[in-house]
Formats: sequence, C-alpha cells, structure tokens
Amino acid sequence: MTEQWAEKVLLFCRSPARFLSASGTTADAVHAELLRELRDDRAQDHVKVLLLAPYCEHPLVLCPSVSVAEDSALELMSVFSQCSPKVFPLRCHLLVAVTSVLVCTDCVRRRSSAVQDVLELLLVIVQDTSELHSDGSSRSLRATACDCLREMEACCPGLLSQHLELLGALRQRESSRLHQAYTELYSLVLRNSVLQLAQDTGSGPEQLKALLEGDVCVASEVTQDSDLMNGKDVSALSSLVLGPMGAVPTLQTGPECKELRSILSSLLEDSYLLTSLAQSSLLQKLIELVAMVPGVSPSIFRAQLLRLLGTTEVSLLHTTLLMKSAFTDSLFSAEDEEFLLKRLVVLSQHPLLSTAEKLFYLDCLLHFPENRPIGSGDRDEVLPVLFTPQLATALVPTVFNDRVTMLTRFNLLSMVYVEDGEDEEGKGLAYLYEHLVALLGIVGNGGNRDTVSTFFRASFLFLSHFGHIENFSRHLIKRLCELYLDHTHLAPQLINLANETQSKLPDSNFTVALLQGFQRTITKVSLTNLKSQELTCHLRVLSRVAEERDIPQRPTLLFLSAVVVASASSPLGNWRLGNSILAVCRCLLTHPDLDSMLVTLADVLQHMSSSYRDTDIQDHSRLYYTLLTNLSKEKLAGVLERGTATEGDQVKKRSLSCIVAESEGQASILTIHRTKKDVLKLVELNATEPRQLPEDVKDSCGSVDAIVDYRSQFDGPEFASEVTVRYQLVHSEENQPGSPFDRLFSIRLHLSLTDDHYEALRDVSVPCLLRETPPPVISLKLRPRQPYPTTLNASAVFTTQDGLTWYSNLPNIEVSFQQTFCPVPVPPAWGPLRRLDLFNALWSEICGGSEEMVESAESLFCCGLDRGALEELLQRHLKTFVLEDDGGGGDWHEVRAMVFLPPLSHLLLKVRREEDAVTFDIATDNWRLLPHVNSFLQDITSSDTR
Amino acid sequence: MSIRALWIISLDKAENVSLRFSKRFSTVEHRAKLLGGKAYAPVPDEDVVLQLLMTELGLSDPEKSYVPLRDNCSHCPRSPALELHLSPRERDTLWPVLTVSQGPLILSCLPLVDAPTKPRPPLSSLLSVSKGLTLLSGLQAFLLSSGGKTDPEGLASRLALLPSVLLQICPLGTPLDVPILGSPATSAAVTPAGNQKQPAWKTGLHRGRAAVTVALTEVVRSMQYGNPYKQDLWDVYGTVTCKCEVEGVLPNVTVTLTLPPNGSPLQDILVHPCVTSVDSSILTATSVDGSDSSAFWGPYKFPFSPPLEPFRLCSYTSQVPVPPILGSYQLKNEDDCLHISATLKLHESVKNSFEYCEAHLPFFNRDQMSAVDVRVSYGQLDVNREKNLLVWIIGQKFSKSREISLEGKISFGGPVPGPRDPMCSGLTSYIKLYFKVPDLTLSGCSVDQHSVQVYSTAKAKIFTSRELQSKEYFIWNSTGSAPVSSGQMIL
Repeated sequence: MTEQWAEKVLLFCRSPARFLSASGTTADAVHAELLRELRDDRAQDHVKVLLLAPYCEHPLVLCPSVSVAEDSALELMSVFSQCSPKVFPLRCHLLVAVTSVLVCTDCVRRRSSAVQDVLELLLVIVQDTSELHSDGSSRSLRATACDCLREMEACCPGLLSQHLELLGALRQRESSRLHQAYTELYSLVLRNSVLQLAQDTGSGPEQLKALLEGDVCVASEVTQDSDLMNGKDVSALSSLVLGPMGAVPTLQTGPECKELRSILSSLLEDSYLLTSLAQSSLLQKLIELVAMVPGVSPSIFRAQLLRLLGTTEVSLLHTTLLMKSAFTDSLFSAEDEEFLLKRLVVLSQHPLLSTAEKLFYLDCLLHFPENRPIGSGDRDEVLPVLFTPQLATALVPTVFNDRVTMLTRFNLLSMVYVEDGEDEEGKGLAYLYEHLVALLGIVGNGGNRDTVSTFFRASFLFLSHFGHIENFSRHLIKRLCELYLDHTHLAPQLINLANETQSKLPDSNFTVALLQGFQRTITKVSLTNLKSQELTCHLRVLSRVAEERDIPQRPTLLFLSAVVVASASSPLGNWRLGNSILAVCRCLLTHPDLDSMLVTLADVLQHMSSSYRDTDIQDHSRLYYTLLTNLSKEKLAGVLERGTATEGDQVKKRSLSCIVAESEGQASILTIHRTKKDVLKLVELNATEPRQLPEDVKDSCGSVDAIVDYRSQFDGPEFASEVTVRYQLVHSEENQPGSPFDRLFSIRLHLSLTDDHYEALRDVSVPCLLRETPPPVISLKLRPRQPYPTTLNASAVFTTQDGLTWYSNLPNIEVSFQQTFCPVPVPPAWGPLRRLDLFNALWSEICGGSEEMVESAESLFCCGLDRGALEELLQRHLKTFVLEDDGGGGDWHEVRAMVFLPPLSHLLLKVRREEDAVTFDIATDNWRLLPHVNSFLQDITSSDTR
Repeated sequence: MSIRALWIISLDKAENVSLRFSKRFSTVEHRAKLLGGKAYAPVPDEDVVLQLLMTELGLSDPEKSYVPLRDNCSHCPRSPALELHLSPRERDTLWPVLTVSQGPLILSCLPLVDAPTKPRPPLSSLLSVSKGLTLLSGLQAFLLSSGGKTDPEGLASRLALLPSVLLQICPLGTPLDVPILGSPATSAAVTPAGNQKQPAWKTGLHRGRAAVTVALTEVVRSMQYGNPYKQDLWDVYGTVTCKCEVEGVLPNVTVTLTLPPNGSPLQDILVHPCVTSVDSSILTATSVDGSDSSAFWGPYKFPFSPPLEPFRLCSYTSQVPVPPILGSYQLKNEDDCLHISATLKLHESVKNSFEYCEAHLPFFNRDQMSAVDVRVSYGQLDVNREKNLLVWIIGQKFSKSREISLEGKISFGGPVPGPRDPMCSGLTSYIKLYFKVPDLTLSGCSVDQHSVQVYSTAKAKIFTSRELQSKEYFIWNSTGSAPVSSGQMIL
C-alpha cells in the first residue's frame, strides 16, 4: 500500500501533466482521492506524510482556484486538528502543505477567510510553550509554525505587521534552540514593516516608535495603507542591497531612534547563536534595515565584522560583501577594502574550500563592490582597482585545475594582463601562453573530451585578449596545424575556433592565417597512406578555407585534382567522398579568383563527371561543369549565391543549386530552423450557427419510437463521432510586424495529443498566412474516445519568403469539456416535440435504473443564482442545447437541456428555480463524466467567471 | 535567500544518468513568478532539466566527440552558476543553477533571484547563491557520509531520509541549517532552565565528564623539478580539529596556538563560526601579497563556545623555508630499457620517525614492465600486480645518513599496455611520496595542553595531538618536461 502511494506520488510530483494523462484521471479526482486517504483513520502517518507532497510541490495543479484552495486548506486543517498531538512529523507536514496551498493560490494576498483561520491557528501554536516535552531531534511544531508564518510574510510583505510586538516578545522569551525560528520570523516582519513606513512618504519617527511599541492602530493603519495588489508589493519581495544605497527607500527619523537601535543591537548580539545560514539571512535583513533608516549608523556592524571576515563559512563572508555594497566607505575604510580584497583572493584558492565556493569567490572578485566604483552602471565583469598583477599570481591557471576553475582563472588573468598593458615581453603573458601550449600538448597526447573542449575554450579566450600579438598567434597557428595533422578528427573543433575567432575579432587576420596554415599542411600530405576518414576531414577543412576570399586557392585545387585522380581508381571513391570534393568545388566556384583557376577546376569537374565511380556524383559534377563553362562569373556567383550573407534575422534567398554540397548553405536550407519566439497561435472562434428547426410532424409517435429511431442512426460507425472546433490562425503577439515572419507559406500544423482520450489528429495544411489579409479559419475535427477535456500540443512547420523552413511551437490548445458539447444528432426532420420525446425517453431510461444502463448516473447540483443571472447563464452556455417546450420559456418553471458528447454519451439537464436556489438535475449515460460536469457547472455558476 | 528547486543526480561508471531525488518549493516558485513578471520562466519537468544540465556540464552525448551546443569554444563555463536554456527563446532561461559534484553524485539547486534580472545581477548580490552552495555541500556530506566511497545501499537509505531531513533544515525552501552528520555523542535533550539562550547549532547539552580533544594536522604539498629554471615549490596548510565534551549551555573554551622562535607565521587563517571573537592581528597575514609585512608571531588565541559534534576550529597556511623531503629523479632511455635513478633526502629539522613513508613511481603510456633490475640503498621495493608501478617502501625511518637512493634499469615489453595519462608522455614522469609523521608540524605550530582553557564547573581533561601528512607531493623527472603548477614561477 505504502509503495503504491510512494510510486504514485513520485510520478505525480515529477510531472503532474504526464501523470494525469497517463492514468486518465483529472486533478480533481487526484485531489479527492488524496483527501479521502488523508481523512482515513486507518491510514498510517508516514503514508499521510507522503500524500502531502503533491500539495507542497504542485499546489496549483490540485487547487486551481481560490475556492478549491480554501476548501482544501480547511480540509487539511481538520485533518490537523484530528491527529494526535504526538505525531509531530505529520502535523508539521500538514502546516507546510496548508501554507503552500494558500500562498501559491494567492489566497494569502487576498486575505481570504481560510487564511484568517490558518493565521490564527499558527499564532496560537507559536505562543503555546506547553510543548516542552518535544524531543530535541525532531523539529517542533512551534518552529514549523514560525517557518510557515515567515513564508507567508515573505510572499505577502506586511501580512504580520500588526503582530510585530507580539513576535518580538516571543523571540525575547524563547531560550531553547527554537529562538532561531522566532528570530527569523521577527526580523523579516520588522524589515517589511519598516519598509512599508519608508515607502509611505508621510511617515517619520513617531510612526516608527508606534510600530515598534505595538500600537495596533498605527500598525493596522500601516497594513491598510499599503495597497497589496500594486507594484510596491513585488518590490518589497526583492533584496534592497544592490548597489551603493541606490534605490533604497529611506525613513527619516532624525538621530533619535533608540528603540530601533536597541532592537538591532539585541538581534546582532544574538546572531552568534544562530546557525550560519540563519545568521546570514538575519544579517541581510539588518543591513536592509540600517540602509533604510539613516538614523542608525552602519557602524553598528563593526563589532561583528572581524568575526565575519575571518569565517570559513561562505554565506557569512558573503554578508560582508553585502555590507560593503550597501555602506561602502561609511563602514569600510580604504584599508578595510584592501583587506577584504586580499581575503577574497585567499579564499578563491584556499586548499580547504570546495571548488564551487572558490568559483563563487572568483566571481565576487570580478564584481567586487568598490568604495569608489569606476564606470558604475554596467555590471559586467570589471577588475577591482586594487587587484594587482602581484595578487593575481596566486590565481594563475594550472593543468591540475578542474576545467571550470582553469577557464575562470585564465579569463581573470587575461583581463589582468590586458589591463596591465603586457606585451609579448611580459612574464605573465608568457606564462599564460606556456600554459596554453601545455594544454595543447596534453590534447596531442590523447587527452579526453573534456580536456579537448577546455583547450579550445582557453585558446579562444587567449585569442580574444591577445590575438593581436603576432608572435604568439603565429606560433599558436603552427602548433595547431601540427595538432591537426596528428589528430584530424579535431577538424570540427578547429573550424569552430576559426569561425568564432572570426566573428569575435573581425579585424584580425588570425583566422585567415590559421586557415591558410591548414591549407599548407593539408596540401603537403601524401595521398598514398591516407585513410578515408582523414581525407573527409581534410576536404571539410579545405572547403572552409575556400570560403576565404583572401586565401589563394591554387594549392587546394591541385590537391583536389590529385584526390580526384587517385579516387577514380581506388575504393575510396564513394558517394560521401565525392560529395566532400564537390563541396570544396562549389566554394571555389564562387571564389573571386575563379578566373585564374578556371581551367584546372574545369578539368577536375570534367574528370569527375566522366570517371567518378558514383553516378550521382557524376551528374552533379556535370552540372557544376556546365555552369562553370557557360555562365559569366557574376551569373555563376548569382546562381550559387550561398546566402550566408546574413543581416540580423534577414536571410537572403537561397538557391537550390547547392543541394549537393555538404556545406553550411545546404545545412541551412535542408534543416528546419527553430524560431526563437512563438510565431503563430490559434484563437478559438466562438460563433455558433443558428439552428433552424423543422416544423414538427403533428402526430408524435411516442417516446419509445423516438429512442429507437434515434438509436438506429448509430449503426453506422462514423455517425456523429466528431466534434468540430474552429480556430483562427494568427500571428502571435511576440512576433512584431516587420519581422521575417510576416508572410508565411505552406504552413503545416501538427497537433499531438497529451493523453489517449482522443483519436490521433491529422495534420492541417494552410496555404499561407499574410499580415495584410484576414486570418485563415481552421476547423479541427476531434474524434473523442472519451469526451474529456484535454490539452493539445501544437507545432507548425512553414516556409518564409527567403526559402527557409521553420519550425515553431504554438501555445498549447486547451480543449475544455464544454467544447466537446454537441447538439443531439437527431434526424434532420425532427421538430421540437420529437426532441422532447427523446429527452423524456432517455431521462426515464437513465433514471429508471434499467439493467442495460449500467454506466448511467444521476446527480444534483445546487447553487444560489437570481433569475437574471440564471437566464444569462443559460443564454451564454446552454442556449444551443435547451429544448423548446410548449410552455415557450415564459414560465421559469423548468428548463430542459440535452447535450450529446461524441462518440456515444448524453448529458441531460433539468434546471429549476426554487425559492432562492437553482437546482440542476443531472442525468447521464456515462457516469465517468460526472466530475467534469460538476466542474463545468461550478465554473459557469461561480462568481469568478460570470 | 531561498531556493526554488533541488535535484540530486547520480552518474554511474557507464555515464548513465539518473535522477535520484527532486523537490520543488512551490511557495518560493510563487515568489519567483511575482518577482520575474514577464521574464519568469517556470521550472520545467525533471527530464528536461536533467538533459540541459548534462549538456551544460559537458556530460551529454558521451559517445560524440563534438556537439556544437556542448562544445562551442566561445561558450565558456566560468562561474559556479550555470545557465540553462529551456528553448531558443531568450527569456526562457533558468539561472543561476548551482551544482556541486563528488564521486557518483551531482547535486544541483536553483536559487531565487530576489533582484531585478535585467541587467543580470552579480552573484555577489544574491545571498541565495551562497546559501544554496552551503546547503548543497551539507547535503553532499550527508549523502556521502560513509567517506566518499560508493556505497549504493547506504546512499539509497540516506536518500530515503531526505524528506524528513529537509523538513528540518529547509521546510519551505529557505535553508536554515545543514544536516547533522552522525548523532552527537551525548545529546541529552534537556531545555536549559536559565536565561541563557541555547545556540541553535547545539542539539543538546553534554552531561558527564568533561574532556577536550584538540588535534592539529598539517599537510605538506610539493612540486620538485630538479631544474635550475624551474623553482621547486612546497606549501603547508594546517587544520585544528576539536571535540569538546563540556557541560553548560554556552561554555567558554579558549585554544591557543603557539609558534617556536624559529617558526613560520600562520597565514590565511579561517575560523569556525563558533569562534566568538577574532583579533585583527590574526587575520592580517596572507600568503597572497608577497611582502612579509606582518610581524605577528602569535600566540593565536581562539575563544569559542563548542558545538556538541567534532568540528574544525580553524585552518591556516604557512610558508616554511625547506621541504621535509628533498628528492631528485632522473630517467634515461638506454637501448631498449629505461635507466632510472632517484635520491630522497630527509631534512635535518624533520624528526626521523614516520608512521609510514612510501614512494610511488608510476609509468604511463608504456607496456607492462617485463624486467625490473632496480636496487635501493634502503627500504624495500615492490612491483604492483599490474606491473606499471614501483612501490618503494621506506617504512618508519630513513637511514642514519638521512639520504637514500634507488637505481637500476627497467624494460617494458609486457603483453598488456599499461595505463594512459596524457600528461605523462615521453620522459615526463614523477615520484609521488606518501608519508605521515606523528607529533610534528613543519610550521612549528603547536597547542600546549596547558594553554587550553575551559571555563566550566568541572575540570576538563585535555588531549592534544599533532601530525604531518603529505598530499600531492611530487618529484618530477628532471630530464623530461614537467607541468607548471603555480604562479610563483612568474615572479
């Protein structure tokens, strides 16, 4: 039993959506099942703890609306009150679950009534000190209640301002180790209350005094004043220590604010008694408080400073950085600043700290909060002024570092030497280069994948800082060429390095020199012992070389010529190799020096077209040969235009002539690109067509006949098995006019199911979507197996004007239960009376408890609605399904509605107004629909949606 | 301040990845949604997170040598905070994803960013980052508490305890503490009666005989090149570990470290958070500023109130004038074999009394050894079973002369290739020393039994000890190239 639940809960928590669709249930049903089990006295406590996990992790899935959340919170509270006071873990988990439900569903912000009850209960628990017998190792209920209150206050700042004094007294009184929970709660409420005062322009010392002394009037005024749904609320959630006092709201109190100062001193004094993690949170709040109240000097922290600077705990040392950033030279002298910086350097390489901590300190060095920052504003990495090359030597990268540390240090040191103006004579720079060569040596000796990628990253860093220093770059190119010759499988990495350096340093000639080096290396290679993989890599590099306009291509051409001659007779000459050769040829065809290569290139192509072993390659060689010999250079370039000239997202038209060349051009034409944003969306169309009912045939044949006639239609398997939902396909808001996606062609929409309640959907084709013309309408034909609500994943593949093919996700399509409603498919000739007959016949069959109707069920739904509201509701939601009866709707006695849900289900409703309530009598021949019917009715009758 | 989600992943030898535990903190996620506004990206399903995380850590697609997303050279992982791109859409990124990994475990969490996200705030402004790191390393220590060894059952049972552990230390996404390792020796769960507040980090009160144990361990590392152009390097760091069994809610204990007149000053001192006050003179000496400006030679006083469990009171580094063992190592290719000679010299200031002392001479990128003709002047020489390592067991003492040597020839021609190490190609090779010397510190630092003060009703028994250990103690072959390991060489 336990294992079953454990498995279920685990699956639910990992992915609620997948769990629901796989098990075919609804969130409502899971919620009901969980609650039932929680209320069951026979269930074991540890199972109940397990069952609370979904409420803690995914409260919004189980409680999608405020009303459901309130009900669940009250249910959980009743479980809480019924369980034995001794089962601490369960009771603690219950409090956490209730808090999660109320916070996440926004109940706390709305101060709903359940929240008031829960708050009261939590405040009672935190004041109840009778719980002394709790065993020290299990976390007590009181501490958990404090945590819950703190979380509510954190999500809804100001919630507990009225209780500030009470919480302060509780904190003072508590001497067991639980005082930490009270301190955390109190300090947060204090911080939020003072922040509210500070944001309120009229506040001064009197208000602060009143707040601290627990003057409830003022305190409640404070809470009333702040509009809880406005933007301030969110700003109160974020940290106030960001830069040198920048955006912190301040509370002018004058020098006299003894009360606050004594509270802060007492908190600081006790801070030692908290765990490091709690201590750092407390200190952060105190920093924020002092930053908001200029009447309290930051020197209040001085006594703690050495203890914090000497600590081995990362979170405590972090608070000194926060203080530095908030108070700069009003707390840290120039000497202190230098000391702190050295301390950071020590910590970034201390042998006893973990790698992650050291990396954190390295990052802090590059974002050091200086007393007098130069060029504030941008927060990108900047070296601190006091960070000398001397200090930096402690942080040089070595081959013994892990990859992230090595690269971080490499970057840092590169920045130091750039700043220091080192040239090729510089010792530091020489060290970095030697380190790079050492890495290269390790790669050359067969270093693993991690070392390889680290080496290329380090090379990129080195080149982006020092690529202009001729000596180093020339030597590096030499070493890279040697490396390539021994390890041709590194071709993708080397091409990537060439590409990235080119785009990072557009003015540098490094890339050209590097590629020319490769060309020299490759073209000297003897073909006799070459393996086919090596040859493919060589051709791949050469085709990249051929893209460079400034590199003479004669050696490449001679190499190609030799390869072609050699491959014609050897088994090497397969399609793949031919394709690689053609890729190089194609780049050569567009090269500006084509004139000088014309004859040799034509020879190569002609040779391939006549004697290459693969016919396909022969054909393509012939095409290139024909193009080369018949077109002018300009036309040839036009035909073969690679289209890689990209400007932003705008891509030029592409030609299909490159289809054989295994090049980037081909890749981008043949691959489907993913859009960065959603480009399209589907908008539901609500229009329902008016119905024209035929006149009734006078003699009604009685209800039994009606049902027989009606049923006989279902003999055909296809009958009435579809629901048609209509959508408009439009551009999404994220896709602003003027983008390349304004005109889309051959759109193919693919809709996939997230559960198995429906038959798979066919793709939908739309010829085009243009901004200037009305959006196309799409009819989705859903074929339900069970008419449940569902979610469809939608995606589209389409072509833009430049010939590229794109793939884009669309927002999910939610098919509601209501959307599966269809008018009952009676024969077209039937008039209102026959329909009524059918209704009555079905109703009595379902309610008659006939044995054939095992699936049927009745139910009742009541709610309070006035007459106007009810009429509006019927008009809006059920109009199509209401049966017109002889009474003609003038008398509001009873309205009957009959809904058909494909493929075979019916839902019958009798709606009556009685006294002050409205009752919906429900009958259906598919009892599984009842939870959905219930949600539907709740939905349309609840005040939220009306 | 808080974290949005926590993932624990295990990675087996075959690089198979599995998610062992995950937890989302919904209320923190709610805050993230409010704070993030339009830029809010929800945490996706676990399998998506797992896939992205593996790519970012360079662990995805282990069979492919180049994957653009993973290996692009312009994408440099530079901080402990990773960025996961949920989709090509710019705003769909999870940041800052923290990870720590050790052995088979990768722990990861997503801290809440409680600051405007544009421009991206520096990590130093987000307290949740350092708190997240602390939580992760605490959980890591808890999960691997069997001592870093892979112990699948122990790991599974500790993973099963995580929900109740998290209820105590991080009930709603705000880390309050790290898990306690093991149960403290004596934990009487009595709440104190007096006014003195009990520290939150103290799970109970000690009852019984008072005893304080202070253990000083120094670790020495070295890189010796035997090359006039490469400076030999060595450094020392020490830790002071305490176990205090003292009665009282907040008893005071003071431990004092002293140096002899010729000792090396202690630098880079880090203290445990239970130390109540730190003198500025203790903190000023650092190893990083080169100049030896500090004139402070101790005594180093550490007043503190101890937690129940053993803890590291403080740590330091020290620059000692000489390495304890100076070695030289030469390899030469002769005909078909490798000529090998090495000497080790124990410095006169070091006590000639080891708990153990061994020198390992591994050989990489070669076949197995086929013939070993090597003599040692002292100690005993073994060849390991795989025939790729010579183990020179020196034992408890060096010879009287304090200098010992090894010389001989090795041929490689065994049927099986030995292990590979791309760093040790050609003649690049090293000797690695393993030794431990009881009752010795290189810095000279010591804790006098009488200097430990305990302010408590009962008189406490005091135990002190010290020892020196080696770690990463390398002697490189001077006839081959050797990797550089420190920036001191630039100076």
